[in-house]
Amino acid sequence: MLAAAGVLTAFRLRPGLWLQAAGMVLLGVAGALALAGDERVGAAWRAEVSPALGLDALSGFFLALLALTAVPTLLYAGAYLRSRVAGLLLAAFLLSLTGLLAARDVSTFLAFWELMTLAPAAAILVARRDAAVRRTVQAYVAITHLGGAGVWIALLALGTGEATLVAVAALIGFGTKAGLVPLHTWLPRAHPVAPAPFSALMSGLMVKVALYGLIRVQFEWLGSPPRWLGVALLVVGLASALGGALWALVQHDLKRLLAYSTIENVGIAAVALGAAVLIEDPLWSSLAFAAALVHIAGHALGKVLLFLGAGMIERATGTLDLDRLGGLGRRLPWGGAAFGVGCASLAGVPLLAGFASEWLTLQSLAHLTFDGPRGLGVAGAAALAGVAATAGLALLCFAGVLGLTVLGAPREEGVPGAGEAARAGGEASGAAARGGAAGAGAASRAEAAEAGAASRGEAARAGGEAAGPGAAARGGAARAGGAGAAAGAARPRAGGAEAPAGLRAPLVALAALCVALGVFVAPLVPHLAALAPNAPDLDTNLNLGLPGTGSLPLPALVLAIVIPTVVLAWARGRHVAATAPSWACGQPLSPALHWSAAAFSKPLRLIAESLLRPRRTLEVVRIRGVVQRIRYGRVVVSPGGRVYGPLLNAALDAARHARRLQTGNLRTYAAYLLGLVLGLLALTGTGALG
Amino acid sequence: MIGLLAGIVLAPLLPGVIQTLKAFAQGRRGTRPTQPYLELRRLWRRSSVDPAGTGIVYRVAPALVAACLLVALALLPIADAGLGHDAFALVGVLALARFALAAAAWDTGNGFALMGAARDLAFAVFGEALLALALIAAALPAQSTDLNAIAAAADWGEPSHWCAALAFALVILLETGRQPIDNPDTHLELTMIHEGPLLEYAGRDLAYLQWAAAARHWVFLVLGAELFLPGGVLAVPVLCVALAAVETAQAKMRILRVPALLGLGMLVALAGVWAA
Repeated sequence: MLAAAGVLTAFRLRPGLWLQAAGMVLLGVAGALALAGDERVGAAWRAEVSPALGLDALSGFFLALLALTAVPTLLYAGAYLRSRVAGLLLAAFLLSLTGLLAARDVSTFLAFWELMTLAPAAAILVARRDAAVRRTVQAYVAITHLGGAGVWIALLALGTGEATLVAVAALIGFGTKAGLVPLHTWLPRAHPVAPAPFSALMSGLMVKVALYGLIRVQFEWLGSPPRWLGVALLVVGLASALGGALWALVQHDLKRLLAYSTIENVGIAAVALGAAVLIEDPLWSSLAFAAALVHIAGHALGKVLLFLGAGMIERATGTLDLDRLGGLGRRLPWGGAAFGVGCASLAGVPLLAGFASEWLTLQSLAHLTFDGPRGLGVAGAAALAGVAATAGLALLCFAGVLGLTVLGAPREEGVPGAGEAARAGGEASGAAARGGAAGAGAASRAEAAEAGAASRGEAARAGGEAAGPGAAARGGAARAGGAGAAAGAARPRAGGAEAPAGLRAPLVALAALCVALGVFVAPLVPHLAALAPNAPDLDTNLNLGLPGTGSLPLPALVLAIVIPTVVLAWARGRHVAATAPSWACGQPLSPALHWSAAAFSKPLRLIAESLLRPRRTLEVVRIRGVVQRIRYGRVVVSPGGRVYGPLLNAALDAARHARRLQTGNLRTYAAYLLGLVLGLLALTGTGALG
Repeated sequence: MIGLLAGIVLAPLLPGVIQTLKAFAQGRRGTRPTQPYLELRRLWRRSSVDPAGTGIVYRVAPALVAACLLVALALLPIADAGLGHDAFALVGVLALARFALAAAAWDTGNGFALMGAARDLAFAVFGEALLALALIAAALPAQSTDLNAIAAAADWGEPSHWCAALAFALVILLETGRQPIDNPDTHLELTMIHEGPLLEYAGRDLAYLQWAAAARHWVFLVLGAELFLPGGVLAVPVLCVALAAVETAQAKMRILRVPALLGLGMLVALAGVWAA
């Protein structure tokens, strides 16, 4: 059905996407039934090369999750995408994800694995044509294939019984795709450049499907996982969680920030999986496993919501630069509120999906500390502190995102200007000049217009990397100018305050799902814990009264927070409130005083300076000894670049040499074939092939 | 239920008592211990202020913060409101209060409020880790994260208990916003941490927030007394005296030194886990 829908999409975009959504609903129902009934349909796993498909409870969970996120994404795509090719690629992407979850043999698995890598790459290339993006896609494909070789090795070696080889190869292969530090560098570059529905599915689902592969291989196909794997997952997961959260903090491009936060959340899931391997007690081992799955679900919902929201924000304002957004709650009440719920969920505050899974993860690590031998106990406690610190970093990060996008008064001369310019459309150059001029802030108007005009070249990117109280204004101006120009050139937009219903309804639905999962997670936990190897029977009520915990009665907690809040807010509201300008200690709140993303994360950046190692530049322009301008910039370089840079260049060089083999001449290919056959015959003759 | 009601009613007494003791130790004639009640009464009668450009987040945040602290009071070992007594649930509820206040600061756009919120959240990164570690080190004898079980199984013979107590003492200083980490008496905007996000509020909103700050004292002092001191709640006055003494003896430290102090606390707690 998905394939048929994909074909239909090639001719008529919207009906095709809706048919895809209908197909996903059916698949989701099938998945949910498989999860609830814990039954197996179709073939069981075979380490062979003959196509086989099947469905069991673990696949069912991921399939249901895929449907829950894909249906809103498809409906959103109906209002967002314009290109039929992109719609077709979306169908291919979803088909590959579904197929991967249903694959029950090596060949099917690997075929869908490759399709899953290539479909979003193609979608990025269809949507964006500039050289920088092309290079990003090359890096993405190169790195995921280099790492993906691990998946091939792991799956092909499954039949041989080389358990250690398979475990290491799978950790590298699936870890690359999941974006675990230090194999993550492709992720924050590739996810942001894709069109919103693809970014959402890449960050929300694709990395999770990589974790699914990891779980399948390590926990099921290999028998019981080795203990070193638990330690490795714990270490790698903690590095990803803390590193991802820290680097998310210093971003100021919304989509890049979200991509880094994906690394953080994959890390937390990996920590929980590591705890599941290390804990001896079967009950808590299975609960740690369930914690990983709940975290995967919560993060998938929240991240898809935020990436789709980022697409909506980009449509409405023409920029993704956090320092130029703000006050969107006014302009996009529904979409903005849904976006805020997503931020709170990823910040891990109670009442939402993010908290339930973090609570379970913390509890599993606590029980690793209680039960394990001394060394593991200390490791568990350190991991516990690490996850708690990650939660704190996520709180800081997403409080910032929420404030910089949705809250506050619109930053006049900032967003609405750029937004108007983008929406007015028409002359691209005019939009660029106005978008640039509007963002000028502290910089002079003429200078900003210059920046806007130059922004199609290097200025946009250079400006994007520089931030800080001083440089942000000019850099932001250049960026917004570029965005304005791009948006203006693309198509004229209808005016109006709220985003189209097709964009905001899926967001609201996803926000409702985040709340629902946060409150009613308890009935799901026994089903998920049962998926762990050697899980004991677990009976739990809505209060999550697990042994060795103080229980987490989520529905009661929600009532205990919501009811007093409503009562107190009502008591406050009866007393007439005066309206006044923001006091701000006596200063008028001018746009130059607005806090930027960099300012909000400044205390933590100073604290973590030795880790982040920002490069600061200070440029003072003097004319006849009088200071005219001071420009401050800082760049935080991701440490992964230093690891991958040489590797990537070598791979690209090798590809350039290998290209010489591809002459395009039929006779050459015939010669290759002949050579291969002769070589094989010779080998057979010597008895080397047995 | 009585424990919860006592928390609601008596919480404002704690900062009042500490102020009085501090004044006494410094040879000043301070306010009466009941001063916070008088302030709450005064604020309750005043009208609130809605800064221009703020929305529902700003208006609801004080109520939400107060509600979170209410739930935190209900999670304490001395209260029994049917919400359980889980240590990590308490951490989560306090995080929600922090998030709400930071969101309100963003809604006003006031730079000083945001400065305080940013510092508060940055310290909370270390504070949450330290709190989790201190609780886990204390929970080792009980093998459970239930605060009641931890309080019941406390054993002064264990070195882990001493380490956890030391780490928790730092948590108390941080979460109650006391010197040397924060100065509750400061009215200089540039040095504020906890007071910062309160700047724009007035009237009943401010009353909620001040009660919440007092409830934070109650939560951490009662928790510290229940988990680590013989005598349980009855030891809370001892902790008040200790806080007043620390405030008198210590100057506020540089903000960037705070994480090092908290990191030290984490190492102490980890040593406790090792020693168990």
